[in-house]
Amino acid sequence: MAFREINSKMVEATVMPGQKLFSQRGAMLAYKGEVSFTPNMAGGQGGIMSMIGRRVANEDTPLMSVEGSGTVLFGHGGHHVQVIHLAGDTLCVEADRLLAFEGTLQQGTMFLGSQGGVMGMVRGQVSGQGLFTTTLKGHGAVAVMAHGGVFEIPITPQRPVHVDPQAYVAHHGDVRNKLSTALGWRDMVGRGSGEAFQLELSGNGAVYVQASEEKL
Amino acid sequence: MSTYGTPGGPTVLDPASLPVDDNVNAYTFCVELKGSQWFLQKGKMIAYYGSIDFNGVGHGRLDRLVRTSFHSPLHASDWVVAEGSGKMLLADRAFDVNSYDLEDGNLTIRSGNLLAFQPTLALKQSIVPGFLTLIGTGKFVAASNGPVVFMEPPIRVDPQALVGWADCPSPCHHYDHGYMTGLMGGLRALTGLGGASGEEHQFEFVGAGTVLLQSSETLMAEQATGAVPPDAGVPGGGGSHTGPSQPAGVPRLPGQLGDLQRRFGL
Repeated sequence: MAFREINSKMVEATVMPGQKLFSQRGAMLAYKGEVSFTPNMAGGQGGIMSMIGRRVANEDTPLMSVEGSGTVLFGHGGHHVQVIHLAGDTLCVEADRLLAFEGTLQQGTMFLGSQGGVMGMVRGQVSGQGLFTTTLKGHGAVAVMAHGGVFEIPITPQRPVHVDPQAYVAHHGDVRNKLSTALGWRDMVGRGSGEAFQLELSGNGAVYVQASEEKL
Repeated sequence: MSTYGTPGGPTVLDPASLPVDDNVNAYTFCVELKGSQWFLQKGKMIAYYGSIDFNGVGHGRLDRLVRTSFHSPLHASDWVVAEGSGKMLLADRAFDVNSYDLEDGNLTIRSGNLLAFQPTLALKQSIVPGFLTLIGTGKFVAASNGPVVFMEPPIRVDPQALVGWADCPSPCHHYDHGYMTGLMGGLRALTGLGGASGEEHQFEFVGAGTVLLQSSETLMAEQATGAVPPDAGVPGGGGSHTGPSQPAGVPRLPGQLGDLQRRFGL
């Protein structure tokens, strides 16, 4: 395992020669051994086209690549850290929530409008994802940041999960999400419950929810 | 975490059930005073039971105490002495709080992180600006953003994640020269394009000892450690320094414009 959780806010990554890690720039707390940190101008994997894609999609986070041999401690801003292991499936997460991820994962950008058209775009606006989100695919581990503790809710075909868009962190697996609205006349006159929008996730997989409605 | 979901609602504490010199929860520490004294930084006491006096440091009666265990005379106004009997709760802006025991040891800690200490310890200003050193035997309480992690040297630490160190003889700066020099490094420094990795400068610790890290790069508000005498040779003392006229305190790194200027004779 590349990442080991030391406490709720810190992970330890083992770096070995030939293995590459990507991490958010400035998130290194300490390291042992011979490890080098190189800022990644492209902001991640792929060539110049992926970089432009990310810039356009506003999903470019300052990343750095970590190479060498040793152990590195990561943590950032006092945010809680959750390590997610991927076994071939795709994780959707906002780029600025990425603390570190293994180089074995394929990084990509997804247009939210491709899932549900205009409603997908509206959903992106409500959940703070914007029009695009970052995907990570393959085998490996990801360390994701969240405000407050994180818990994982499994999604099964029989049991769709409703999540407050502001508390949504990430999801993986074969999951369809749609925005369900519970708008009524009360919302129109300003006496709503404040929970008019929910993210409904259905399919097979898991969703990660943070114990706070604050964005990073 | 363990206090969540306890049957019958939240635990209600009274003077008898409050822990003695231990954490109430991750963010609050309880100190028991039995005619003894504690030094604490101003504003860190949140509640107390019993009869406890809080006196500013440096008043006549406490002069002897200050002489033995307080060695930052110019910093004295930021500290108070708690004296009496009772129980006192300490906390700091919901940061994690922990107590540490020293046995005939020494520990250097970032000035903003220290909350309180027993007078059996001597508090001295570190040569490293912004840090305080505790020497002797006793208990002290310190805050950190996230739990503190103890690491053994050799290790290189992000400057903002460093809380303190014990017994380490050699805290020093480490620069990633491979990153900052060369054509790309110069370009980056000149144009800002490509950005810094944010990790081209660390504190390096070698030798035997322990290094204390916090889990985040969010610093506690800096506490003034007090000025040092303005003598020559005292770091941060502002004494006369010899050598080329460089602004003190701002290290000039290779690859910055200044070097180019010199190279081209500008």
